[in-house]
Amino acid sequence: MAPNFSSGVKRVAALVLLAVLAALPASAGVTQVKLKLPLKPRLPLRGNEKVALAPFVIATEAEKARDKRLQNVDLQAEFQRFLKKQIEKKTKLEIVELPTDLKLPTQNLSELGRSTEFWRALGTQTGAEILVSGSLEFRVEDRSGYKTEEYVSPIDGRTYYRQVYVEQTGFLFDIVFLVFDGRSGEKILQDEFKDFRQTGGRRADELQGLFENLFSLENQILNLFVARDREAERYIFTD
Amino acid sequence: MLRKFALVVGAAVIAAGCSSYSRTDKAQTQISFGSSVARRGLWREAAFRFERAVQQEPNNARAHNNLAVALEAEGEFSRALAEYKRALELDPGDSYIRRNYARFAEFYTSYTRTTGKATGGP
Repeated sequence: MAPNFSSGVKRVAALVLLAVLAALPASAGVTQVKLKLPLKPRLPLRGNEKVALAPFVIATEAEKARDKRLQNVDLQAEFQRFLKKQIEKKTKLEIVELPTDLKLPTQNLSELGRSTEFWRALGTQTGAEILVSGSLEFRVEDRSGYKTEEYVSPIDGRTYYRQVYVEQTGFLFDIVFLVFDGRSGEKILQDEFKDFRQTGGRRADELQGLFENLFSLENQILNLFVARDREAERYIFTD
Repeated sequence: MLRKFALVVGAAVIAAGCSSYSRTDKAQTQISFGSSVARRGLWREAAFRFERAVQQEPNNARAHNNLAVALEAEGEFSRALAEYKRALELDPGDSYIRRNYARFAEFYTSYTRTTGKATGGP
């Protein structure tokens, strides 16, 4: 019995070796590398300009009355604080303070982009070379509900469909940036960033959700003002 | 017997050495050297090597793929796109080139959408 067993093992080992050798040419000569893709800043800046952060139009202001969860979030203040901190920390731009009682000439985004006189006057008054404004939208999206699910019965092995209740809450953040030239008042850039984060349940914290959205957009927002890089993985052939 | 064996081994070693020396101008040598510097993050040198490989063997899909990756690392995105397309034309079935191209296309689409132009172009 022993010799039979031994020859069996040898045969299996030989087969394994053959399989490994057969697989080698497919993977040999290729390696995965990590890159940092350099992203040029989207605004043509020197890098040390004076920047003023004007208020943003809050697109979800009317919903506050309907959704109690939004009442806990001061979107304007939180976003301004986040943006100011990021610009101060990660760029060489100089933040210029604006009058605290500054009011936008309109709550309509298209009209805001065309308010050349307003932006020119603000630029002259504050000495800001670049003025930043736009609109913010932050929603708590409840997508809970019944969903169709496929399942295989352990009794007869057949596939059935059943309705299951799935509790899902997510936070949607949508920001439109309008950037103006402080001297001419002309709009020099308009850009939009969106992020949706799904959370575990209905009790997810709104502020935490907001900052998760913001941190995921951080690189893109900063890339408006300064060069950033983005990590990527690619394959290169080695022979 | 032992002497004969030693002679054969010696001849084999010399032959191997000669063959690798004679390959210095070949695309394969450029790819091999380029990939080793790329792994150390020296992308400019790698791009130079892969460019040489492409000049030596214009129909080598692997050389075009590697050059595309190096150009991406250098921020030359529109040139990288052209090289990926060429690599895929030459070897449409290669799964590594296809995966690279898919990942690059995803990045490049969002990049050009947000910048409104293809940077790194001529």
